[in-house]
Amino acid sequence: MSTDTIISVKGVSKKFCRSLKRTMLYGMRDVAGDVLGLSQHSDGLRPDEFWALDDVSFEVKRGECLGLIGPNGAGKSTLLKLLNGITLPDKGKIKVAGRIGALLELGAGFHPMLTGRENIHLNAAILGLTREEITEKFDAIVDFSGLQEFIDSPVKHYSSGMYVRLGFAIAAHANPDVFLVDEALAVGDILFQSKCYAKLREFRDRGITIIFVTHSLDLVMTHCGRAILLGKGNVIGNGTPKVVVDQYNKMITEGETKNDVPLGNRAVVVDPSSPSKDIEWNGLFNVNPNEDRYGTKKVEILEAGIFTISDLPAQILERNQEYFIKVKVRHNDQMPGPIVAYVIKDAKGTILCGTNTSYQDMDMGWMSAGDVIVVTFRQTLRLNPGEYMLCVGSAAYEEGEYVVYDRRYDYMSFRVFSDEPRAGIFDAESAIEWCRIH
Amino acid sequence: MENTIYSGQLSTQGSKPDESKFVEVEYTSRGIRRDGLAGWRLMVRELVGSRRLIWLLILRDISVRYRQSIFGYGWAIIPQIATVATFAFLHASRVLPIGDTRIAYVAYALWGISVWQLFAGCLSNCTTSLVSSGSLVTRVNFPREALVIAAVGQPVFDFFIRFVPVIAVFVWYGVAPSWGVLFMPLVLLPVILLALGLGFVLSIANLIIRDVVNALGMALTIGMFLTPVLYPAPVRWPFFLINFLNPLSPLLTTSQDLIAGGYVTRPEMFVAAYIFSLAVALGGWRAFRITIPRVAPYA
Repeated sequence: MSTDTIISVKGVSKKFCRSLKRTMLYGMRDVAGDVLGLSQHSDGLRPDEFWALDDVSFEVKRGECLGLIGPNGAGKSTLLKLLNGITLPDKGKIKVAGRIGALLELGAGFHPMLTGRENIHLNAAILGLTREEITEKFDAIVDFSGLQEFIDSPVKHYSSGMYVRLGFAIAAHANPDVFLVDEALAVGDILFQSKCYAKLREFRDRGITIIFVTHSLDLVMTHCGRAILLGKGNVIGNGTPKVVVDQYNKMITEGETKNDVPLGNRAVVVDPSSPSKDIEWNGLFNVNPNEDRYGTKKVEILEAGIFTISDLPAQILERNQEYFIKVKVRHNDQMPGPIVAYVIKDAKGTILCGTNTSYQDMDMGWMSAGDVIVVTFRQTLRLNPGEYMLCVGSAAYEEGEYVVYDRRYDYMSFRVFSDEPRAGIFDAESAIEWCRIH
Repeated sequence: MENTIYSGQLSTQGSKPDESKFVEVEYTSRGIRRDGLAGWRLMVRELVGSRRLIWLLILRDISVRYRQSIFGYGWAIIPQIATVATFAFLHASRVLPIGDTRIAYVAYALWGISVWQLFAGCLSNCTTSLVSSGSLVTRVNFPREALVIAAVGQPVFDFFIRFVPVIAVFVWYGVAPSWGVLFMPLVLLPVILLALGLGFVLSIANLIIRDVVNALGMALTIGMFLTPVLYPAPVRWPFFLINFLNPLSPLLTTSQDLIAGGYVTRPEMFVAAYIFSLAVALGGWRAFRITIPRVAPYA
């Protein structure tokens, strides 16, 4: 281990058991074996066990900010627990040269009946601070938490935001050499969040090593110098954030479509002059199995999708490119053409943009039962990088009343990427000029 | 606002990063299992390092326990008095043939139950200490023996509160303890150590299988009647065997001897029980330290 390596992980594996009953059985057996000094065959799997981490190796240099990404169940949290020494690996070796601090759960160990002041003393002692260190930092902790007025009330009267603020304030003052952060920051109000990120940046600038587990690829791109992608317990990618994040995006889409051919390269035979009218889109996209669907089905949405200008299906989109958002509907009755709509929502459910055929005065004439049409929205995508939901719907006014025929909220997700940074949720396409006036 | 915080921040931490103090830790599946003496050294170092934490945890438990209650610390005494009153009644009415005791029965029973409560309280408090700390055990790496050791604080504190009725009863019945009571702390220490040692093991077992705490409740109820708490130690065969099998019996009997007569009836038994308790405490501690990384995720 060279001197500037602060963490070295070599061939580390950790197994878990799916069944609770067997967990108890194995637990008792292993514990008895540990105590009696029996040899343990920890490198094999017993029934119902699986490798949560399988032969993971990597190194972290002093002062690095490492992003750890991967889908749920990839083993990120397990890895953090191993790095923190809370639990031991079943195979392999982890070396840590320094004091590890963790933000795995903010306010873990707070006692609801104790006041904020008492909890600061206790929690800081748990995190390994000496009495002198605590006395020295007490005011800074209270200041950072912004809870001066409430410091002598029992924390059970705190809001969850206040609770977390105090937890972060204590953890941030524990002076670690390595800081493990597990998405715990996605709480509290926006001001406090920004304060937390500022604190993390300050840590990074002071040369404290940070390992950051998150689902927010944005954060990895902006804060981290390197990223590691975990998937099913293995290190799949390890490199610059941009490369690894791309790899992650690719992995997600492949995993969901259960197909090894990357979407962008899929050969779809479509005559560009008749945009994807006749083929089944089913299978081109990984649609959300948990969509929220309701309506009378008088006009049924058969499927929807996003296509590039050259009519290739796409679920990872580039900002400021033009796309076709297509909605295929079947009329189950004789009727005038319905209103067909799409909206795009963010992960929190806020509607970001959208339109429909009625807003834009599309008149589709009279339809007979069995008619299938495709409505194509030609759309330049202005949204900034992130994950979004496509929602589609059909409806009409029947005798002055708005009737929903088929509404499919969260029909499918898609991701947007871009090389150029912009603030906010969309690219306002600003033009910048300057001139000297003195 | 933001600025003042940061300047305060940096000034307190500016001098910090000190490369020489980096300790290298290595984690493998082996843990400290085969480390022998080095393992013991590590354990002692961790224990010494966490003595302030243990103290704070004890203060927390004591100060928090009765914050939202009317009778407050009275609850340390009330159940004990109720039990003794019941048995005093059974004794007086001759419903239960309880043999003669060297001091007044009520004083005898009250003392016995205080010591028993000390043991039982320590043991059950230690057993639940990890489970009741929940996310602290799974999410934070710190010497978790502190939680188990600190769990002893509350019952010990309660024991001191129970001195109030004990002294009152002794005065009332005119029981004048011998000078031997000065050695009482030495006799009670192994009671606590025995409970702590068993508690180390049971706290781990309880993390894996939650039945343990329920089974313990039952075992303690039975155990109270298998220990000469409310009746004098049996002397007839085969019942006196229980005095040999129950390590708590000689400890309790010796404490009663100190109060009543100043001489110890069976010193060899007492010494054996003393050594046994010490061994249980050390063995439990070691077993705890070896297995905690394996069971921490169960909390």
